[in-house]
Amino acid sequence: MRTKAMATLLLLGLAILPLAPRATAQTNDIAVVVSSGNPATNISLGELRKVFIGAKRAWPGGQPIKLIGRGPGCRERLALLKLLAMSETEYKQYWIAQVFRGEADAEPLTVPSAGMQKEALKVFPGAISLLNVGDVKPGMKVLKVDGLLPGAAGYSLH
Amino acid sequence: MPVPRGRIRTCIHCALLALLLLSISSLAQEANPSDQETIPQLVQQIKQLLQQDHDLQERIKILEAKQPRASPMTETDAVSPPALPQDAEQTPLPQIPYAPPHDWHEIRGIQWRAFGEVDYKVLNQRQPELATYGFVPGSAGNFYTGDFGLFLTSRLTHKASVLSEIIFEEGDAQRYNVDPRRMLLKYDSNDHLKMSFGRYQTSIGYYNWAFRSAAWLQSTADRPLVMEYASNGGLLPTQAIGVSVTGAIPSGKLGLNYIAEYGSSDTVRPDLSGDGVQTDENNGNHVNLGFFLRPDAVLGLQIGASYYHDKISNFAQGASLRYGQSIVNGYVVYVTHGIEFLNEGFLIRDAALHFSDAIFNTPAFYSQFSKQIGHIRPFFRYQYVNASSNNSIYDDVGLRAGPSFGARYDLNDSIALKAQLDQTVRRREPDLNGLHLQLAFAF
Repeated sequence: MRTKAMATLLLLGLAILPLAPRATAQTNDIAVVVSSGNPATNISLGELRKVFIGAKRAWPGGQPIKLIGRGPGCRERLALLKLLAMSETEYKQYWIAQVFRGEADAEPLTVPSAGMQKEALKVFPGAISLLNVGDVKPGMKVLKVDGLLPGAAGYSLH
Repeated sequence: MPVPRGRIRTCIHCALLALLLLSISSLAQEANPSDQETIPQLVQQIKQLLQQDHDLQERIKILEAKQPRASPMTETDAVSPPALPQDAEQTPLPQIPYAPPHDWHEIRGIQWRAFGEVDYKVLNQRQPELATYGFVPGSAGNFYTGDFGLFLTSRLTHKASVLSEIIFEEGDAQRYNVDPRRMLLKYDSNDHLKMSFGRYQTSIGYYNWAFRSAAWLQSTADRPLVMEYASNGGLLPTQAIGVSVTGAIPSGKLGLNYIAEYGSSDTVRPDLSGDGVQTDENNGNHVNLGFFLRPDAVLGLQIGASYYHDKISNFAQGASLRYGQSIVNGYVVYVTHGIEFLNEGFLIRDAALHFSDAIFNTPAFYSQFSKQIGHIRPFFRYQYVNASSNNSIYDDVGLRAGPSFGARYDLNDSIALKAQLDQTVRRREPDLNGLHLQLAFAF
């Protein structure tokens, strides 16, 4: 009798589980990550845009900013394009134009994986990157955006 | 008749099982459409990742070869990474290994890119007109190659670099001129102070800064007349040799920036009429001051203004007759969400300094709108230049106004095909209608 009741409850639980609202809001957020030695703790959305369009090229201490990006199709790339209000084509053309203008040495470095992003953050002390919050690894520092960490209500990078 | 308890339990179990299967099925159905959309993207992404992985492996080999042998990183190193210096003067900045991006060609530290164009233009008037970039004046229509540019950069230190833009420009009868349109030693102290020494493009207006020499960057097939290079009949001193300083002014969300230039902008411009006559303006040293702001509140908006002053001559009236030339520019541009909306106005004021009190004002403006729709970018532009017939410096220009419309089609990330129709109303001359086709590319 007790076994049957437990089996019923288990079955009920399994049945309800997929119907429950998926509490994945915070895992859909995109984190702004920098090298662990970077003294910055917060960045405004406006500053973040300036950084990722190459208008702001150094951290307050003078350290050159190194942009590390992910390739087309990645969630991080889509979040970046949304942040900059550009399409993939416009983004590519924008950076070629920046180079031709002499405003940038090169297009942002593109890496194929979160592991490579972590390595890049170690190699370049002034590096900054967007990363799926679920892929944040030890040794990375997550910046607040407008005072909010990923997962907080009102966090703006998804 | 009472139902047996065992049957009730069986029914409940069956219902729950059905519910479970239904839920799983609904989840699977939710996933299907997005999977179908995602699969081609993932295939493309995998191809790109494989290529990038190969490039990165090569780069790692290069970096490892450049670095001296060191002991492997310990756990302590990983836990306590070196802190960023707070004061650049007190603590030397850590050396950042230089890693060029994979799509740049590198020859002994020099990175290069190039751009070019192939054009076909036809006008409905056979009178010589706009004989520039290899277009044969008086012809019904002909092919020409416009500018072919080599763009070279080399980083000397993490703050200093060299930039040069060497243009091979087609002239008459397929003769090519070599023009180092930019040749700069750049020193970027920080975001607030970026200096350039050498030959630069004057920062009069937005267009000159945004599009430089590469037709591939432009939506339209040609530049607005007022922003055309002086060596191709444009009205402005587009080039100078001297020093250019720019940077951000701490202004919070206003995003204020400044530009200051001092240099020699001696300009020779050919007459637009294609008569072969050239006007040597024999410029002195110019001063150009400008500001622009990019407010955080409106992404893509840039508003700017500049003031340029120089002294020029008109040899047709004798070199001793000097004019004070002042050029005021203001612009509002909005470039985002695939929209390009450019609006610039100019007032060129030439005031005789000796023997006369003549003052000539030449107003000019253009407005251009385009919108990216897939691979196609339709555009519309209206431009206006009105130079006095008595102004001997711009007597070949007179009044020129009219619309241009057409479209740019991006064949891929490097090649664009453009088609443009122009109508130009001229003072005391018939309207000029033209078709301009262009294949622009960058590599």
